[in-house]
Amino acid sequence: MSALVTIDLDGRAVEAEAGRPLGALLHRELNAVLRHTAKDGAPRGLFCGMGVCFDCLVRVDGREGVRACVTPIRAGMRVETVRS
Amino acid sequence: MSGPMRRIETDLLVVGGGPAGLEAARAAAEAGIAVDLVDAGFRPGGQYWMQDPTGAAPLSVQGEEGAAAIAKSQASGVAFHAGAEVFAAFPDRRVLANTADGPIEFVPRAIIVATGAHDRAMPFPGWTLPGVMTPGAGQRLAKLGGASAGERVVLAGSGPFLLAVAETLVKLGKPPVALIEARHTDLAIIAHLARHPGRWREAARLLVAARAIPERRSGWIVTEAIGDERVTAIRIAPVDRSGRIDRDRSETIGGIDALLVGWGFRPMIELTALLRCRHEHDPALGGWHCITDRASGRTSVEGVYAAGEVTGIAGAVPARLSGRLAGLSAAADLGADTAGDESERASLGEQLARARAFSDGLGRLYAPPADLATLAQDDTIVCRCEEITRAEIASAFAAGTDAVAGAKIWTRAGMGRCQGRICGAAIADIAAAETGITPREAGFNPPRIPLRPVPLSAVLEATRDGQE
Repeated sequence: MSALVTIDLDGRAVEAEAGRPLGALLHRELNAVLRHTAKDGAPRGLFCGMGVCFDCLVRVDGREGVRACVTPIRAGMRVETVRS
Repeated sequence: MSGPMRRIETDLLVVGGGPAGLEAARAAAEAGIAVDLVDAGFRPGGQYWMQDPTGAAPLSVQGEEGAAAIAKSQASGVAFHAGAEVFAAFPDRRVLANTADGPIEFVPRAIIVATGAHDRAMPFPGWTLPGVMTPGAGQRLAKLGGASAGERVVLAGSGPFLLAVAETLVKLGKPPVALIEARHTDLAIIAHLARHPGRWREAARLLVAARAIPERRSGWIVTEAIGDERVTAIRIAPVDRSGRIDRDRSETIGGIDALLVGWGFRPMIELTALLRCRHEHDPALGGWHCITDRASGRTSVEGVYAAGEVTGIAGAVPARLSGRLAGLSAAADLGADTAGDESERASLGEQLARARAFSDGLGRLYAPPADLATLAQDDTIVCRCEEITRAEIASAFAAGTDAVAGAKIWTRAGMGRCQGRICGAAIADIAAAETGITPREAGFNPPRIPLRPVPLSAVLEATRDGQE
């Protein structure tokens, strides 16, 4: 039923199922570490998984602060993780 | 970036597409009322009736039930707006929702808030490590992402939802390696279940799932998550029947890659609070919840109704019943003359009271342990967004404030993007520990517009039309 699409994750091509949450893909591809915090540089990953906690922020197609957990995977999307 | 803001005038706006919202919308639409339903998810169903985003067959009975409810609701003429996140509401009942195509302004004659709940998380050392998640996050990863949170997952905290997550992981072929339930198994749970035979089949199903978990403990609690870049081990300790943790008998469970830990749910009250509806605090109902007249779903604000978890955590059965009641009474108040006769509404009210008695009992049986607020140490992050520690928050209380809102001003705790949705209740517990007031007296952070971050273009569109 679901279409396999390719997205750009930090410059590399990754295959994924369209429609599934981007956060689930990143959780697997990035070994759970989605970003590091601005203040302590501490690693963070998915926490609430439903758009409430804002811990899974990434840059998508140049837009900052996108919650990976509630963003569906689309063909050709460009995802950049933010590492400080 | 976006064109002029779409404006939709309607009789009734239902916010939330879970069991409560879908039932409310259908009841009102079938009574002849124009109904619009906004839901933040890309497919309606909410967290309970979660639908597979690829269109694959549902992983659970809930998914099948949900698909049927969505189909019925759509057939009744409800206008669905999926992927629409409500970010503002005003006393004149205008509601703004953001979508991928820009904001929509809804101008309804009445609103039913059915925004549901999120996991009740409590801070403890290591809870910010990647791989530590709420049980709800684990459930969504499985149902929406088609994947387990890890190869070796520990489920912990308290409440029957842990078993529901276990059931999903078993179906995925990845049973959890351990279940750490804080509550002691005792006759009270069996006696409670015995009084509600309608729930036996569900309970039996969940217990079968639990049996697939090799290590099961009751009366134990996770005190720490350990790891560098992600969780690799946890510390656990026994907790006695009065909720006291015995750290002298701590043990370590190593070799794990995910910890799903949660303490039930919290009503998502941001919208009802923004609309100035009356709220009350009851730990057994998840803390702060919106007060409604149970027979009608009316809140303290005219034209605003609430149904489901936002009115106090009770689960899907009360959510459906309270949703139908709210939909019927809103339709009747809006002038529909066939909106459920007196006898149907009375019968729904009786069923709701019975279903709520079951849930309220469970809520009390699975109350979080008394010592939960002592898990966070001085250097433990409490506010995840602003990276504020327990010691920093405690210093605000030492310096004179006694409210959650005061701690926010003094320390920035709760000022980040989540607006204190995750840490607010923990801060109330810390206030209680530090000042001797009750968590209820410590209050909660009043929600601010925008409820969720939105692009500036959406705010500009919204304020152009709605100068207050």
